[in-house]
Amino acid sequence: MTLAADLRGLLKTSRVLDAPAELRAYAYDASFLTQLAPRPPDVVVIAASTEDVSSVLRYANRHAIPVTPRGAATGQAAGAVALGGGIVLALNGMNRVLEIDVANMQVICEPGVVHAQLNAALAADGLLFPPDPGSSRMATLGGMASTNAHGMRAVKYGPTSAWVLGLEVVLADGQVIETGSVGSRAKQSSAGLELTKLIVGAEGTLGVVTRLRLKLMAIPRSRAIVLGLFDALEQAGEAVQAVFGAGVSPSAIEILDERCIQAINLYRPAMNPSVEALILFEVDGNPPGVRWDAERVCEVIAPFAQRAEWSDEPERINALWEARSVVGAAVGMLRPGSNRAYCGEDICVPVAKIPATLRAIQDISARHRIPIATYGHIGGGGLHPGHLIDGRDPDEIRRVLRVADDIHQLALRMGGTTTGEHGVGAARAPYMAQEHGSALEIMRRLKHALDPNCIMNPGVIFDPLPLPFELPLTGPVGEPAVATIDPG
Amino acid sequence: MSSLPAFSSSHPLLGSEYSNMLACIRCGLCLTSCPTYVLSLDESEGPRGRVGMARALAEGHLRVTPDLVEHELNCLVCDACTAVCPAGVHMDPLQVAVRSALESESRRPRRVQILRWLVFGWLFMDMSRFRLLARCMWLYQRLGVRWFARRSGLLQLLQLESAERLLPELPNHFVTPHDEQHASASTESTPAAFFAGCVMSTALADVDRATLRVLQRAGFAIRNPMQQGCCGALNAHGGDLPGALQLARTNIAAFEHTQGPIVVNSAGCGAMLKDYAHHLQDDLAWAARAAAFSGRVRDLSEVLADGSLRVRRELRDKVVLQDACHLLHAQRVSRQPRDLLRQIPGLVLTEIAEPGLCCGSAGVYNLTNPVQSRQLQQRKLDNALAPGPAIIVTTNPGCLLQLRSGLAERGSSVRVKHLAEVLDEATTP
Repeated sequence: MTLAADLRGLLKTSRVLDAPAELRAYAYDASFLTQLAPRPPDVVVIAASTEDVSSVLRYANRHAIPVTPRGAATGQAAGAVALGGGIVLALNGMNRVLEIDVANMQVICEPGVVHAQLNAALAADGLLFPPDPGSSRMATLGGMASTNAHGMRAVKYGPTSAWVLGLEVVLADGQVIETGSVGSRAKQSSAGLELTKLIVGAEGTLGVVTRLRLKLMAIPRSRAIVLGLFDALEQAGEAVQAVFGAGVSPSAIEILDERCIQAINLYRPAMNPSVEALILFEVDGNPPGVRWDAERVCEVIAPFAQRAEWSDEPERINALWEARSVVGAAVGMLRPGSNRAYCGEDICVPVAKIPATLRAIQDISARHRIPIATYGHIGGGGLHPGHLIDGRDPDEIRRVLRVADDIHQLALRMGGTTTGEHGVGAARAPYMAQEHGSALEIMRRLKHALDPNCIMNPGVIFDPLPLPFELPLTGPVGEPAVATIDPG
Repeated sequence: MSSLPAFSSSHPLLGSEYSNMLACIRCGLCLTSCPTYVLSLDESEGPRGRVGMARALAEGHLRVTPDLVEHELNCLVCDACTAVCPAGVHMDPLQVAVRSALESESRRPRRVQILRWLVFGWLFMDMSRFRLLARCMWLYQRLGVRWFARRSGLLQLLQLESAERLLPELPNHFVTPHDEQHASASTESTPAAFFAGCVMSTALADVDRATLRVLQRAGFAIRNPMQQGCCGALNAHGGDLPGALQLARTNIAAFEHTQGPIVVNSAGCGAMLKDYAHHLQDDLAWAARAAAFSGRVRDLSEVLADGSLRVRRELRDKVVLQDACHLLHAQRVSRQPRDLLRQIPGLVLTEIAEPGLCCGSAGVYNLTNPVQSRQLQQRKLDNALAPGPAIIVTTNPGCLLQLRSGLAERGSSVRVKHLAEVLDEATTP
């Protein structure tokens, strides 16, 4: 019996794919790493129930077959690709909102629910799940929990982990557990170890999330956006510090550099100034407070800004956030014939060091002759450098890999981290020993305690796998050619 | 470092779209806009997967396998993904190239090859043949053959029941372009040319006539060039790119002696006509002529958007607009038809849920992929009927026939009208 046939016999309602082109569609996420080394799984299971997930894991554990959980694969760090082969366990088909508990302000949902669709469903009851990734329209809740996604509003509302009250998790041996107290609807608890927080951010290396209990809040009655334009990056950094010092707590603070502004205008014209940095401050709450906050932010940033203005008109707010949410992909439009390479794209540094980091990124860009457009959540220190390359040029590929390495090293040198919110995946696994020191060994022990056969998402976070790069084939179809590349 | 990776393709048919494929950065923003992904939640049924498979084929990492063919051909080419793609991937020409490449490597049964030649190589290539077939269908509807076919079980036997259900009552008179001029009915007179279409000028000739009347009232003097033919969209999406290009050249030449906008009332044709410039960009003899032609093409709602149309009657109807994908996504036209409907006194326009999700018509998709087509048709009808309209307005023949067929099956009294018909009614003196 083949793996696919075994699984088809085992599973009740889930689908099993094993045709070659179908598998190819699961060979990558948005990371540049999986463009260079796409790896089709041996089989894909589109899971339909916890019971089937449990059956898959029991089988895989018995036969020591790697299992890679996958949401929408919008990640940029090769965290949801079966780099060691085996089974891709797609959870996006488990996409039901099971219960909106309005009285207790909680929602119970499956992991495949798309973030924007959850908030659309909650809106009817005036409720909101506040973590807000730029990929809201495609990212799944399971993926958000597994990477502890932060998003634009984390500066006020915190990361996904702050809003996850409990999880149903299938462990590597197929056992199903519920974290956050069985059957509980409590909003807080001090009962024992916080297993929920252990699973959130574990990127599927400890188990598979099959159900989430999420905390909600009421939709803020009002929002306003302050647009600040800065001639110099340093002034932008000072303005943000001044806002924090003024006692205002914005719900989002986003910075776009000059290249990002150009990119947005190519995709959907929404802003067209010529400055070195643009910052969007969002404030939310009750209408009088929002107006006061917006005016106060304007007042505080005025000494640093070329221009500062605010608006509470929904159309203007939506247009600006829409523009901001697509900038990551739209930067590819800046250089015809080039595309964005997602590598070294998610660092986080101390807020005070943002201007210096942005300058250093510009230096890296000049040194390696790779254009970089940078944006990010400046309120929390998260920066997303977007590198533009022509993938047909092997030298540009070599140089962009060095750019990514330089940026990761820069983040660590600045006292930051190689990933602020996208997760480690396979792309940043090589930096974990440097970033965590001896703490990585403790993480490894925890991992082995829950997954002794190491079947859960191998190559991610711990123990990087050697990845063969795939070269273009000009002759007959055959096995992918293998080459090694030295990013240094 | 002796061997460096780089992306390249030497595929003879996919090379022209390789840059388009490389533009996909796999962000996944397209997923939730794609009708087949929404139905299946399977990556290989989504735009990112389809681009990925096509790219692997172009790079030599995949060969043509049945699953690849199935997933690529399940694409509706509705361009919903193109409309949301922040990286600028354009799915329509990519699918045209992919289908052409798949066709060149496919081994179809002899009878299918003959049928394909008859449809793409013979029927669509000459409008006189198309009109002849339409006249035969007209006779079929009127000489009792239909009555016999339906009752005898012949349609069921030939598995033609659903196809036959899509066929509207054919009008007695078709619109046959013969270079005639339709004078402006207003004090203004702006030159324009009319693209009559194949299905539009025959099965839906009444819509073409309504369109001409509306254009006349809006102050256009319209020429209807004789040599024009089918737009070629069905050929292009059916894997016959050479046939589509032949039709493109015929149409470009046919309209070169006309002036003003080339007005089209079929969203699918309009999208294809606007894409001639892309498809012929590497043809030295035709690139400039194609660019000039495409630059003149306008949907009916676009040319009327300047407010030149005078509404004379009120229509006390509750209507919903069913956005045709090839207008909304491919041509990015959404405001104009709404503005035109809202200017009609008494008419109440209500928005529907999932406006960007295809109705499942998509050219001949309802014949080639009946399962997905039906799922999308039913979903669209559920959404369109939810506000309780009396009329569903659309701007594309495929959508019109797909919705009418679904409503007839449900026994619904809700009518489906082309925008031109509603405007004609509202502007009749």
